[in-house]
Formats: sequence, structure tokens, C-alpha cells
Amino acid sequence: MQAIEYFEVECPDIRGGENYRQIANDVLLDHNMLRVVNKIHIYIDPKVPIFVAVGTLKKVMTVIKVGDIANVNPQEKKFTLAISDETYLAPMLKVFWDKFGKDHVDQPDRFTVVLTGLDISARDLEEMPIIDPSEALYKDLVYAMKCICPEGFRVRSENFGKEKFSFVASEDTLTEAGLALVKEKFALMGETP
Amino acid sequence: MILVPITYRGGVYRHNEIIDLIEDLGGYIIQKHMIAQEVVLQCFVPKDDVELIRAIGKPLAGEVTDSPLVGTEIAVVSMSLEIHHLPHPSCDIAEYVRRLGAKSNMIGMARGVGKRIAGINDEERDVINEHDIAVYLLGNFEHCIEKKTPLILRGIEVPVVLCGGPDKEVLQRIAKADGYVGNVGRFMHRTKESEELEKLDEIIEEITRVLSKRREEIAKDPLSVSPARLMDVIRENVPAILDVTSPTPLTVQMAGLRVKLPYDTYAEIIKKTMIEDGVTIGEIADVVPSRIRDYILVQVKPFSETNIVL
Repeated sequence: MQAIEYFEVECPDIRGGENYRQIANDVLLDHNMLRVVNKIHIYIDPKVPIFVAVGTLKKVMTVIKVGDIANVNPQEKKFTLAISDETYLAPMLKVFWDKFGKDHVDQPDRFTVVLTGLDISARDLEEMPIIDPSEALYKDLVYAMKCICPEGFRVRSENFGKEKFSFVASEDTLTEAGLALVKEKFALMGETP
Repeated sequence: MILVPITYRGGVYRHNEIIDLIEDLGGYIIQKHMIAQEVVLQCFVPKDDVELIRAIGKPLAGEVTDSPLVGTEIAVVSMSLEIHHLPHPSCDIAEYVRRLGAKSNMIGMARGVGKRIAGINDEERDVINEHDIAVYLLGNFEHCIEKKTPLILRGIEVPVVLCGGPDKEVLQRIAKADGYVGNVGRFMHRTKESEELEKLDEIIEEITRVLSKRREEIAKDPLSVSPARLMDVIRENVPAILDVTSPTPLTVQMAGLRVKLPYDTYAEIIKKTMIEDGVTIGEIADVVPSRIRDYILVQVKPFSETNIVL
């Protein structure tokens, strides 16, 4: 876990805590969350029962534009796009279809997209935003927390912002005392919620 | 004649000779797998003839190993079928017992998770009770295991092996079962490290220990007919079983057999099937509907009930 600045799992059941540390480690690795999470503190007390995960996030990637994943070659009355990174090809096509209509968008092969009959400059096309990966990242982070959390803890309170997140879950109705733990655990990391 | 469970692993070339040999010696082939150029036979053979099979199989690159789990059906009970419990560790354990000859079924409980909210329903209970043994895969917290185990073991009559995060001694203290394996709770990675594989071996050992106890109990009041023999009888007399595409159309259990044919159509046919000297299956076994799909469950009665041993 070198990429994470602070990683702590706190639990009154020592052996259970060790196992949960391993689970958290595996889940964050599997879900590719190390690039997002900066600090994370997990607290579990099966007797209450309560699960609290608080943490801070790294600055996530900027918006992906057409120019980031494709080479735009302006030709006479058309643009030929040579795709260099397929990851965001599907959302890019979706943007083109919505904006220009399917008649103007053609994909003759896997790595080529041809746009015809457009009234747009090459620069504007390169600057066209495709997707904001941070939106999906927050969804992934919530999912990762659900995976780490014991499955029976189905009453949840999730809070995800640009820089910080908190996740509280329990089997029973969440109490004020349970939610107050968020502040306490943030303080342990030297942060405020 | 005492039959022992073994696995024969060898080349495809002339493997029919081994099959003939086992059958001639009075053994039974429970499962046959053909994997590329290899044949794996899981079978029951007479104890005195194991060496003979080993000697005959040697020139054919055959290898004979003891497989204490051959002829058993094991329920691997997972607390749910969510990502939290699958594919690790449930599948890893289910697959490992399968390698050693057992037929394992995975059962995901509808309300197995949590502490206060955990519970078992009648269908789950009946399905688990159809097996020879149930392996429960519990979580990591001692407190939760202590609270929920009585709830999820309610009505279970087959032997149970509990696997959980705490140490074995702790599990023995907090829960009541027939076998315990500690330090195997919920985890989210594949078991491939040597110490994790050792844990899987420990689970097998515990299952084997509990099953041998059950075998001893059965030996005190022997079954009227061996389930492996019953399998052969059904295979010969009910040709419809040959058309079933399931990997084990006839699943041998320690004291019975699961027949993967529809109950309504075939139960009567199976009951009337003759085994030997005018004795039918219906006389020495209960033929009942299984809770798994519409299969048939044949439960062989002991000698004390029928006064017949075939």
C-alpha cells in the first residue's frame, strides 16, 4: 500500500481487524482505487455493530477530451480520427452521435473514426470534452466501500465530496453517536470532515 | 469385501483395461473424467486389490491415490451469493474438495449475512440436509459468529464443519458443530500462497475426520446395499439416465444416491427396479423427491430396518 499516505483499520477484535485490513487492501487494489485514495481510516465494531470508513482523496484526473485519445486529421470536408486509446472510444462515439447525428459519424475499422460534413474547426474538435472520469470514480469508490464493509451492514450513510469521503454502515438504524464517529476518525488522520 | 475410495489418474491409452479390471474385481466407478490425454477415475475398489490396480496401471503411466472424499456429496454453505463471499473463498473451497473426489454443491443463503438479521429458511435447511456434510463458511468476527451460528444451524441434521476467521480454539468455544477450521474467514483474494493452500488441506482433513466418524456410525448398522452398487443397478436398468447431460447424473452419497431424473416420471420405475433375488430398490430404500430441482433422492435403509444385505 505504498501509494496511500495513511491506511489504518481499527477494530476491538484484533484478529478480525487484521483480516479486514487484508480485505480493504485487496479491494482497493482490485478496484484500482489506489490512484484515488490518499488517506483512509476504517473503524469496525461488530458489537455495536458499526462500520465507519473515512478518508481523503487525491486530485483526480481532468476531463478527457477528443484530442487526448485520438489524432485529428482534417481533410477536405471531413475529419479522420486515428484512435490511440480505446478506453473512452464508446463514450466519444456517443458524444458524436448526440452532437452531429449518426449520419455524419462513421467507424470503418476499430481504430478509425471518420466525421463528414461538419462545420467545425479541427481545434474545436480536439477540445471537445468526452467524459469526466471523476464521476465514475466516485461510484467506484462507493462500490469498493460496500465490498469492504461486512455484508450484513445494510443501513448506510454515504458522503462523497471532491476531497473527502465518509461511509457509515450498520445492521441497525444509524444513531447520532454512530455518525459522530466520522468526526472522531477524521481527527485521527489529522483532518476535519 | 471392504471397498476403499481411490482416484486413478492415467493416460487415455488402454484405460479401458483399468475400467474392466476394476469392474471385474467387484469395484465401482463413481466418476470418469477425460481431460485431453488424461483419464481420471474416481472409484471404489476392494481394499486388497489396490496394489494390483497400481501394478497393472504402472506401465500405462497410471497413478493410484487414496481419495477419502470419493462417494460423498458436500454442501459448501456460503452466507450469501454476493461479491463479499464469491468467488473467494466459497469457490476455492468447493473446487478443492471436488479435486479430492467429492461432489460439492454450493449453497448461498438468502438471509445468511449479518448478526441479528441472519436466518435460515426451510428450503435451505432441507437442501443442506440432503448432503453428507455441510461446510459453513463464516465471517471474521468472533462476536458475530457466536450470535449467528445457532440461527443458521437450526434444523441441520447432517454433520457440520465451521470455517471462520477466529482461531480454531475460539470457534470451538463459541459455536457448536462437528468440526472446526480457524483462520479461514472472509477474504477477497485467490488462495494461491502456500500457507493458504495448507489451510485448504486443513479443511479437507477436518471434513475427512468428521466423515470417517459418520462412516463408523454407518458401519455399526450397515446399509442394505452399497450406494455405489445401487448406482450401477440404476444405470443398467433405467436407460434414461444415460441421456442426462449433468456431469454426475447419479451422485453417490454415503448412505444414498441422488438421481437426476424427474421424480414424477421415474420414481415408480426406480422403486420397482430389481437389484437381486427379487429384491427391489423400493424395498430397501426410501425413494423421495429432492428439494434440488425435481430430482429423486434414494435413501438406503440400514440392515436393522430391512433385514436384507445385498
